[in-house]
Amino acid sequence: MPRSSFSPKPKCSPIWLICILLGLSAVHTHGKDVPTVPQQVSLSPNLETQQLTLSWLGGESTTFDIMILRTELNETVFYETVSVTADKISGQHQWNWTSVEPLECTSLSVQIRSRDGQTTSDWSDTHILPGMDLPSNKDSQMFPQDRVVSVGTNTTFCCIVEEGLGFGSIRYRDLVMNVTRLSRRSYAMTQINQGPSGVTGTNVFCSSDEKTLLNGAVVFVGYPPLPSDLVCETHDLVSAVCQWNRGRDTHLYGKKRKTYYTLNGRDCTEANQNQKWSACSLAQWDGNFTLVARNLLGQYSLTDSSELSLRVRPVAPANLTSVVRAWNATLLWQWKHRGYDSLALICQVELTSHWHTTTRTFSGVGLRSVIVLDLRPDEDYSIKVRCGVQQNFWNWGDWSGPLAFRTSIDIPDAPDVWMWIERDNTGRLMWKPLTHRESHGQITGYEVTLWSPDENIQHTETLPQSICTVPINLTHISTTGSSSNKVIATVIAKNAAGVSPPASIVMPLRWTDIDPPAVSRTAYMDGGFPLSWQSDANASCGYVVEWHDASCQQDCAVEWIKVAAENTNISAQSENFQPGVRYTLSLYSCSSEVPQLLQRWEGYMEELVPSSSVPHLSSNQQDSNIKLSWGEIPLVSRRGFLLGYHIYLNNGSQLMLLANVSDPTSRSYTVKGLPVGSYKFTVKAYTSAGEDTGATVSISLESYTDWLILEMLASLGTMTCFLVLVTFICYKKRKWVKKAFYPDIPEPKLAGDWSRTQGPLDVKPSPHSMVHIVEEPEWDSSKEALVVIPEEDEDEDETGDEPVDTDEPTSLRYYNQVIDDRPIRPRFPDSSASSASSLDSARTDVTYTGIQTSGNSLGFQLQPQGSSEGQQPQIDVPASCVDGGGGYRPQMQPGSLSQDMGLPAPQAFSEPQPTKGASFGGYQPQCSWHLDSPVEAEESGGLAPSLGSPTSVASTQFLLPDSGSKEQPEGKGQGSSSATTWFHNLLSSAKP
Amino acid sequence: MPNVNLSNHLIQTHLLISSWSYNRKKESLSPDLTVADGRLVTVPPPSSQLDTRDKLWRLHSALLQCRSLLERAITKEEEELGGAEKGDYQSQRKTVRDRLSLLLANTGELLKATDGTAVLTPSLEGLEIDGPTILFEVKLWIYRIFKELDYWTKTAITTLQGLPSVTAKERGRTTAVRRRRSTRR
Repeated sequence: MPRSSFSPKPKCSPIWLICILLGLSAVHTHGKDVPTVPQQVSLSPNLETQQLTLSWLGGESTTFDIMILRTELNETVFYETVSVTADKISGQHQWNWTSVEPLECTSLSVQIRSRDGQTTSDWSDTHILPGMDLPSNKDSQMFPQDRVVSVGTNTTFCCIVEEGLGFGSIRYRDLVMNVTRLSRRSYAMTQINQGPSGVTGTNVFCSSDEKTLLNGAVVFVGYPPLPSDLVCETHDLVSAVCQWNRGRDTHLYGKKRKTYYTLNGRDCTEANQNQKWSACSLAQWDGNFTLVARNLLGQYSLTDSSELSLRVRPVAPANLTSVVRAWNATLLWQWKHRGYDSLALICQVELTSHWHTTTRTFSGVGLRSVIVLDLRPDEDYSIKVRCGVQQNFWNWGDWSGPLAFRTSIDIPDAPDVWMWIERDNTGRLMWKPLTHRESHGQITGYEVTLWSPDENIQHTETLPQSICTVPINLTHISTTGSSSNKVIATVIAKNAAGVSPPASIVMPLRWTDIDPPAVSRTAYMDGGFPLSWQSDANASCGYVVEWHDASCQQDCAVEWIKVAAENTNISAQSENFQPGVRYTLSLYSCSSEVPQLLQRWEGYMEELVPSSSVPHLSSNQQDSNIKLSWGEIPLVSRRGFLLGYHIYLNNGSQLMLLANVSDPTSRSYTVKGLPVGSYKFTVKAYTSAGEDTGATVSISLESYTDWLILEMLASLGTMTCFLVLVTFICYKKRKWVKKAFYPDIPEPKLAGDWSRTQGPLDVKPSPHSMVHIVEEPEWDSSKEALVVIPEEDEDEDETGDEPVDTDEPTSLRYYNQVIDDRPIRPRFPDSSASSASSLDSARTDVTYTGIQTSGNSLGFQLQPQGSSEGQQPQIDVPASCVDGGGGYRPQMQPGSLSQDMGLPAPQAFSEPQPTKGASFGGYQPQCSWHLDSPVEAEESGGLAPSLGSPTSVASTQFLLPDSGSKEQPEGKGQGSSSATTWFHNLLSSAKP
Repeated sequence: MPNVNLSNHLIQTHLLISSWSYNRKKESLSPDLTVADGRLVTVPPPSSQLDTRDKLWRLHSALLQCRSLLERAITKEEEELGGAEKGDYQSQRKTVRDRLSLLLANTGELLKATDGTAVLTPSLEGLEIDGPTILFEVKLWIYRIFKELDYWTKTAITTLQGLPSVTAKERGRTTAVRRRRSTRR
């Protein structure tokens, strides 16, 4: 249409233009069909739910814009487009809006307009929901009041300040909250995620700027009910009683807020609010049960269903009575409901006596009496009963009220009898006082009878009930004619019901000093002394274990226990055991005869440290030592098995352990090695529990000079005795010694007849071979050497020779004692020519042997260099040596010596010369036993080669060491020289 | 001597009330907030002109109103909180009520002793005996009742401690008048 209104012609008349515009305007007006403005707007507040219900007449529109403002401050609270259909009957539109703040907090202005797409009607008139902050309400107020909300929800509170006062704060409990101003006098705050409140609710306080309390509100934050475990049962076989668990605390209290319960629609007013379990009854068993729990926050339902016969729980037995006897009682009761008469019941009887409870079970149809057996006479009992159904047992019924009764009295049990006999033949007959359980009634007294079986003499004595031991003079009995060595004692207890069976024991008439078996130790454990023993064939009626304080001497407190014959171990227990007391435990066999001691133990309940220290501690100086002595600790003070003693050196501030004497029987200890001074010693005995406080003794240790002198004298005396002994032995065995160490020089072995008497042989030097003693001015006379003088030199020798000693004979003297038949070999084979010539000329075969004494050896004391330089040896030559020295010497002439002497080198020396040292070693006395070791060999230096020939040629004798050897220490050489001289003299004196 | 015992008893009662005093802490009422006084007990204003009997009567009347208010408060608490309060609070509340009854009996006896006539029961008209219905106001109301109790037990201590001197003076005056009369005779 509009298109058709437009003309392409450029030239149009004004009239046509106006017509076109009017037409377009009309078309436009007709196409946009404006919605109607909502009419009859009404506001309907629900203050509890803070819900505002808006209703209006809005024509055919289904979409509306709704705007809600806080009237005073003209703040928009809500502005949205909502779809609302009109009620078909009334044609009204209705829409609900829930305010965050309570509707009383401030006035709200509401406007509505219809919308059709983008087309809206005009806004309706403003409708105001008046708040409580109107000037007409001058007082301070707070909203909401007494609100009940669920845990975790948010609640907004507003405070309207009293007219004329200034706002201060809003506190949730004691917490100041952030507030929003809603109007001139109204302020709001929101508490989010509220926790459960206390029993009187949660307080919200509104105060003025002067901190004066203006108003407040209480909010209850809790939970809806959540019961569980609904169970219904019957007690009377008709009605139903249902129980349930109330579940979690709702935190809602008071009439208005508490949880209400209904069972199958019936109010359960009797349900206890403060118990975890609640119960409710129905007059008739319904089979199906529904419990509804309800409070202001919600409700919860539980169901249960069952047949009546499966849920029978009997009521408590009523009117409990008893018929009591000594050893049993008949218990009777009644049932409140007749239906129980035909009901098979099972009942429990709970019996309590002396805080000990036992339960016995009985059953029967309509059970209403039972006989309770195994009671004890004269005993107090408390008894109660409960029952359940035998078939389809559901649960035990309630216990009846307790019934107390006391059983009748009966004759007492036989007393437990034992005896105690002292060394002086006085004895005691003892028995244990009967306990309440054994006496079966008040004991009125005892009757004791002594009966000698051989003589058939009987003596009876009645004793009051307070007596439980009787002294018996066994000596008196034995001297009054009894030929037997035993007496039978019998004890009878009496009460109002009669007398007990007799208790007997056989007592010996005299104390027998039987050696006790080996006493062993027993350790207390688990409240007693564990004892075990070998079974004894004589113990026909068992055993008796008896114990008492080991330190007790007279009238000892004795305890005992009787053990059956089949038992061979027991734990001896007593309330009277004391720590630190030694107990002696004895085992006796029980028979028709006198009890026999079988075994004995001793032990402590608990070992303690000794209560007293060692007595009579004393100290004595013994030589340079200190002897500590002490006495024995009395048994009563030991309080444990002594393990030993600790010896301490007490230096005032601390104790230093010197020794641990682990032998408890030891009574002394010697402290050694202490220097002179004052000392304090502490001795402490110890047990497994520790050591005692200790006894201390002081002593001053003085020097012991006498002992030193004695010691020296003793040493000297011992040495003297030793020397005398050695001398004596040597004297007595001088032959053997001489033979072993200093045999006689054998006679030369001579060819031909040398049968002449032994004696010195004066030899004239052969003209062809003569031995000439040459005195070399550079040599000591002792260093004479046998020199083979060639014939051609004889003259020269004669002219130039000077005798060594004018007293010396010019001839040579030999001992021609033949000691060996073996052929003599020349020492130097190369010199055999000269030797042979010498022998040949004399026709003699002379063996030059001899012990080279110190003097001789000194004669061979060669000075490798010094001697050639004119140093004379400073050694005297003994006369004997001089006498003998004129004899032959071993053939040894060092080359150097020959040279020094100006002698031409003989053929004998044509052989390669040994080293200087070796050659000077020559024949040495036999000292090879000194040079066995390589070390000594080294020490001997150049003498080593001589070791290869320890003896002179064909000599069977030892050669003594060359004491004059330069390599030997001077002192040693002198010592051995003097010793050998002495030895030589000794041996010489032994010669015949 | 009875007055001394009564005075001690009063002091103990007052201490009990003071320590209990509706337990601000339990209700999270911050100590820095002040609660406006709202007098619940109405008696003639104190005056130096009042004689011993009038003072006792005024005290007795106030305590009577206190007991009525306390009983109502207990009832109201039971209604609103339904046994939620347990243990110490309930036992203390009962003790305060019993001691207040004893105090009333004692002041009644004193009143009798003062003029020998029967004690007139003070009127409870105008007393806000029903109490509020909003729970916060109930709490505030109970708080004020205990404030009144606190105030009037304190007043009772003062009043009773002043009694011996007053009675002694009055006895002295009476004795002097009698002597004068006997002298004139």
